[in-house]
Amino acid sequence: MRPADRSYSASHEWVQLDGDLATVGITDFAIEQLGELVYLDLPEDGGAVSRGEAFGEVESVKAVSDLNSPIDGEIVEVNSALADELSALQDQPFAGGWLLKVRVSGPEALDGLHDAEAYEKLVEAEH
Amino acid sequence: MSASALLQTPLHAQHQAAGAKLVPFAGWEMPLDYGSILEESRAVRAGAGVFDVSHMARFWFRGPAAAAELDRALGARMDDLEAGKARYSLLLAEDAGILDDLIVYRTGDEEFFMVVNAANRERDREAITSRLREATFEDRTEDGGGILALQGPDSRRVLAALAGHEDFCPGFLDLAWLEPAGLGTLFVARTGYTGEHGYELFATAEQIEALWSRLLELGATPVGLGARDVLRLEAALPLYGHEIHEGTNPFEAGLRFGVRGWKSRDFVGAEALRAAPEAGREIIGLTADKRVPREGYPLLARGREVGVVCSGIWSAALDRPIATAYCEKGVEGPLAVSVRGKEMPVQRAELPFVPHRSRD
Repeated sequence: MRPADRSYSASHEWVQLDGDLATVGITDFAIEQLGELVYLDLPEDGGAVSRGEAFGEVESVKAVSDLNSPIDGEIVEVNSALADELSALQDQPFAGGWLLKVRVSGPEALDGLHDAEAYEKLVEAEH
Repeated sequence: MSASALLQTPLHAQHQAAGAKLVPFAGWEMPLDYGSILEESRAVRAGAGVFDVSHMARFWFRGPAAAAELDRALGARMDDLEAGKARYSLLLAEDAGILDDLIVYRTGDEEFFMVVNAANRERDREAITSRLREATFEDRTEDGGGILALQGPDSRRVLAALAGHEDFCPGFLDLAWLEPAGLGTLFVARTGYTGEHGYELFATAEQIEALWSRLLELGATPVGLGARDVLRLEAALPLYGHEIHEGTNPFEAGLRFGVRGWKSRDFVGAEALRAAPEAGREIIGLTADKRVPREGYPLLARGREVGVVCSGIWSAALDRPIATAYCEKGVEGPLAVSVRGKEMPVQRAELPFVPHRSRD
């Protein structure tokens, strides 16, 4: 079971909300689908992200994929050290492998996302 | 295609047991990796790996006319191929477009065996059989048997142990028939797709499961199609649909040996080859610092488009991105690829990226 304290998108990102600050990452399922990571491209601090829009790219040995934002908001912090330490993303996507911290308007930013249980079902269906 | 419509190799259960990530590939459900594409690639370069490539199509040809008819049907010469030898060939359309690349094994004076790409099976079958008159044809891809590729510097030891005599080692492109204990006669060829010393083992339905287990016991690592792609690109071996396709010709692809004798021989596509203007582009090797130049990215020289990337992957041996690209001949100076509109510098590299040791 994946962490219950966060929300999940159908495109395999997670969001953990603390007040109006949301931490964004990608799930272990996304990592498993990608395979071994070789490159990560994250945005600079200060920009905006929109739900469903790409904010970066991640590459594996085999392919390159967009990183899509599960929420709308302003980027306040980027885990920029991750690009040089991809193992943290590969091995701990729910902890040290977080990607962005985003200021959101409020809890309604999570509307339409899935809880861990619903996400679990979604992933099972894709397997 | 839905998962249920995918074909499975006779070793499907073994792959699942070995923890394979199974993916759709050319109508088959195939192992992409058993955990790590990069580790599996390195295992082949350093030791011995075994790939299940039973998805590849297996065609048989027989009869007194087989040699002459195949000689006309294929790009490479078949009439002078000795029994007991294998040869690479292209299969051309009348207009000299490349329909496929393949290996022909002459198993007897009047018998030939051919392995073609899974994705091209139906089209190849149609093209080749339409060019035969008297020779018989049989597609045995789904007879329950399959192909195991045993590749890497340690594959010689593994094969000798399998054969049960220490100094057993067929020459490059030679065929051999082994008698491994308890398996019956096993057909083997010194061929492969990694640039390493290696073999392809053609197992019957009765042999394949025991053969797989035996190779693992003898120390071969299971290797998936992901690593196969890394290894073949490191060795600069072409992959159909990437370096070659119907819109490429053998010369620009560097595959002149797949149409040897084209100036004077009579085979399908030869006339168009003789009439074709000299190729204005060639395949070159590229490396990059961080990001992989991927298939389809435009190749640029001083901002001008001079070609396109065929294949790109992360090289386990070089620990950096590698790629092949078509490039106009005579282009000099620094090169770049366009990654979604952004220019990324790339460096020209000698091919192959990893020297071939297949004849060692």
